[in-house]
Amino acid sequence: MKHHIIQLAMALLLIFSFSSCEKVVDLNLDTSSPSIVIQGNVFDHDGPYMIQISKTVAFTESNIFPAVSKAKVTISDNLGNSERLTETSPGTYMTSTLKGIPGATYTLTVVAEGSTYTAVSTMPEPVDIDRIYIRKSDVGSNREVAFDFQDPAGIDNYYRVIEYVNGSLKTGINVGNDKLYQGKIITYSLGSSSIKKDSVLQSGDRVRIQFECIDKGVYEYFRTTKGNGDQSTSPTNPTSNISNGALGYFSACTVRQDSIIYH
Amino acid sequence: MIGATVTVKELPGTGSSANTYGYYSITLPAGRYQISAQFMGYAPQVQTVNLNQSQKFDFQLTEQVNELKEVVVSSQRKNENITKLQMGVQKLDTKDLKNIPVIFGEKDVLKTIQLLPGIKSAGEGSSGFNVRGGATDQNLILLDEATVYNASHLMGFFSVFNSDAIKDISVYKGNEPAEYGGRLSSVLDVKMNDGNDKKLSVSGGIGLISSRVTLEGPIVKDKGSFIISARRTYADLFTKLSNDSTINSARLYFYDFNVKANYRINDQNRIFLSGYFGRDVLGLSNTYGLHWGNSTATVRLNHLVSDRLFSNTSLIFSNYNYKININNGIEMNIISRIQDYSLKQDFQLYSGNNSTLRFGINSTLHKIIPGIITAISDVDLKSMTNKHAWENAIYISHQYGLSKKLSVEYGARFTTFSILGPGKFYTYDSTSDPRDTMTYKTGQFMKTYFNIEPRASFNYILNDASSLKASYARNVQNLHLLSNSTSGSPTDLWIPSSNNVKPEISDQVSLGYYRNFADNQYEFFTEVYYKKLQNQIDYKTGAELNFNENVESQILFGKGRAYGLEMFLKKKYGRFNGWISYTLSRTERKFDGINNGNYYPARQDKTHDISIVGIYELNKSWTFSSTWVYNTGNAVTFPTAKYQIDGTTMMYYSSRNANRMPAYHRLDFGATWLVKKTKDFESSWTFSIYNAYGRDNAYMIRFRNNEQDPTKTEAIQTTLFKFVPSFSYNFKF
Repeated sequence: MKHHIIQLAMALLLIFSFSSCEKVVDLNLDTSSPSIVIQGNVFDHDGPYMIQISKTVAFTESNIFPAVSKAKVTISDNLGNSERLTETSPGTYMTSTLKGIPGATYTLTVVAEGSTYTAVSTMPEPVDIDRIYIRKSDVGSNREVAFDFQDPAGIDNYYRVIEYVNGSLKTGINVGNDKLYQGKIITYSLGSSSIKKDSVLQSGDRVRIQFECIDKGVYEYFRTTKGNGDQSTSPTNPTSNISNGALGYFSACTVRQDSIIYH
Repeated sequence: MIGATVTVKELPGTGSSANTYGYYSITLPAGRYQISAQFMGYAPQVQTVNLNQSQKFDFQLTEQVNELKEVVVSSQRKNENITKLQMGVQKLDTKDLKNIPVIFGEKDVLKTIQLLPGIKSAGEGSSGFNVRGGATDQNLILLDEATVYNASHLMGFFSVFNSDAIKDISVYKGNEPAEYGGRLSSVLDVKMNDGNDKKLSVSGGIGLISSRVTLEGPIVKDKGSFIISARRTYADLFTKLSNDSTINSARLYFYDFNVKANYRINDQNRIFLSGYFGRDVLGLSNTYGLHWGNSTATVRLNHLVSDRLFSNTSLIFSNYNYKININNGIEMNIISRIQDYSLKQDFQLYSGNNSTLRFGINSTLHKIIPGIITAISDVDLKSMTNKHAWENAIYISHQYGLSKKLSVEYGARFTTFSILGPGKFYTYDSTSDPRDTMTYKTGQFMKTYFNIEPRASFNYILNDASSLKASYARNVQNLHLLSNSTSGSPTDLWIPSSNNVKPEISDQVSLGYYRNFADNQYEFFTEVYYKKLQNQIDYKTGAELNFNENVESQILFGKGRAYGLEMFLKKKYGRFNGWISYTLSRTERKFDGINNGNYYPARQDKTHDISIVGIYELNKSWTFSSTWVYNTGNAVTFPTAKYQIDGTTMMYYSSRNANRMPAYHRLDFGATWLVKKTKDFESSWTFSIYNAYGRDNAYMIRFRNNEQDPTKTEAIQTTLFKFVPSFSYNFKF
């Protein structure tokens, strides 16, 4: 949160220095050999759950990422269940019987192109959304979407929020913890600050939120993706919870959803 | 008058220069002498003395503005840079600053020193600087002996030093005398103006985004004087013009005050009081506010114990704090602070004509509040363990002229740094989780580091116009600034050495050749240096540095090395003057866990760095100036591949700092128009244009999806300042 504020301050400085400008530049970038990328979830609702496996491409190429087919993908839990996933389309692997249960620990094993990758994630207890509403933004005269939830007292919680506007996923990664708000009612605002151009909502837009409780390892992954594309710090790769140098994450999480029409 | 020279006409080669408090001492056989005192820009003065016992002579030099050139040409040789022992030091008089154009037209010592060799800008418009490959927190910044922990206003676009209140500055590039210590790379010693002890005067300036006013005058004529200087910026006037409600609700300004008074109690005692207070305010309507600033206070007593022994006693206070106020439903305040209380006792003993002994002690209590969070709505307090440390130093150094040609200064600084209770201390396991907690009571010693810092300098004078110098120095640093943003932030945290954090150590050797030309009109030097660094700091991936009780678990420790060649050519006098400075350098770090444990260039590594400064006095009314700077881009890490996570494009990075930002270069112009100058009133206009040919310098490069075509990615470069004009009106009466 604080870093957003610093960024906002920087944005203000940029605006006040009336001559600042942006342009696209051509850089001569090196390309590293392709790495494997694994991502997927186990939710607390009925499956199927999906694991996707792909590879990195050079920065200059299009955003088309080669699928990794014919991998052996299994998910097992600490309750004695285990399932081998089936590849339904290239690089996409689905469960059929597995059911996510809060409190259970899940292990993902991927054997692809001769290497084995594993990840472990524990599903936290769910936290419900109390209400979703539209309110006047704290900043300026904009109106914004916000929702409240009760943080469970006495335990460390980690949250992730995914936003959809009119059914399409809004990019960007939003995670938080209850370090400063232990056991309180927390208000999460979807921030319609006019500084972020892509977040300006129109009256009549349908805003849907997906609210996840994630475990610490997954939180660490998403937290360390912050600033991934900019140079404000020495950039590094996020701390994945998958072994053997794979990129991406595996998350067993609870999910609650709600939506509202913006006006 | 610091560095004013005192010479004896009858004995050429005999002389002395005034120390930082304006005192000098010369030992001569009995007889009749003509003693003269001179200082750049001031009329020399001669006193005839009949010496048969110890005597004290005070010189009052008066400023000579218009006849400056004639005085300089006709006065004796100015080859102090050749004969002086100290190397790796540069001095700037605030007069030197007057004509050099800077951004927003605000004269700034920290911007100007970045035009000198070995001192590099930490970023566009920034007052942060890197000396000989060091980090920005490895500079000891002193304002009248008080440490200034954050020398930046407005996120670094201005420095805290109001040039109207500054007398002069010296930068020591790592081989400072033994009386200084505590940082690895440099000491920036800033001295405040004493004020005019002859008459009351008011001066000031009104500029585009800042104004300032100074009042100075005698307390008792010729015995004591005071100066009060104040500054305020109004950058937020521009944000008010914006139609955007977010931006026009923003607050963005700073103000600061400098106050100093001195009084000559008698011939043996003189007392000084000086203080600084500054505040920055940044806020967005009632939602968010960030206030930060420094305050310092110094009480100093100069005492002549005998005609050969000079004593200076200082009591020093320094404070840096910030306060964040957040109000989004729940109102919260976060405060953080670092405070120093110091006692300094220095002695200078002129033990013979060619021998000076300097010794003293320094004791400082540091108190750091890393962060306290308070909520106003209900009584809820969260705070991190406060840190207490006691830093002590004893130093001794002996300067001695072995012969007419060879002089040496050798000495050492003995330092202790003790971490004191009360507080909790932790040890950490490999996953950064606390393994053990130890609790200490108030005043209990948790850990003490003892270090010896030897220092030595040699000067071999080849002839009147050239000399060779060499030096070695070890520096130890026990306070470390944690900052994971490259531009620096007011919320960056200072932490003391501890059981987990070891003192940073540097060893530097340097060699220099000094040469003057054309009757000292041109001054040239070149220096080479090699520096070894131990216990350097970097951070783990995604390190959480703010409000983290276990912040010490987020740090990585490594080593570093830096080496380079510096060249400097200055034309000192004449209607046209200025300088050229060039630095060729390399600075590298080595950490386990970064770059496979291999050396990599530090971010501030800039291979080539050139500054050219030219000042031309057309006539009595108009002075023109120009600077041009060029440097290799910073070492940065660009992506070597990309992938997608939940629809968001992610960048993949391999080697640390294997890429370069585009080269930086820029031309600035300045002009000063002296409208009126009489005995009672003076007024002038200054104009400047920053980045006059509009070079698109990269402040930042980001990597993201193309907004029109999300199947493509692109690199976006942000340029901050192009063609920035500024003007200000200055007056004095």
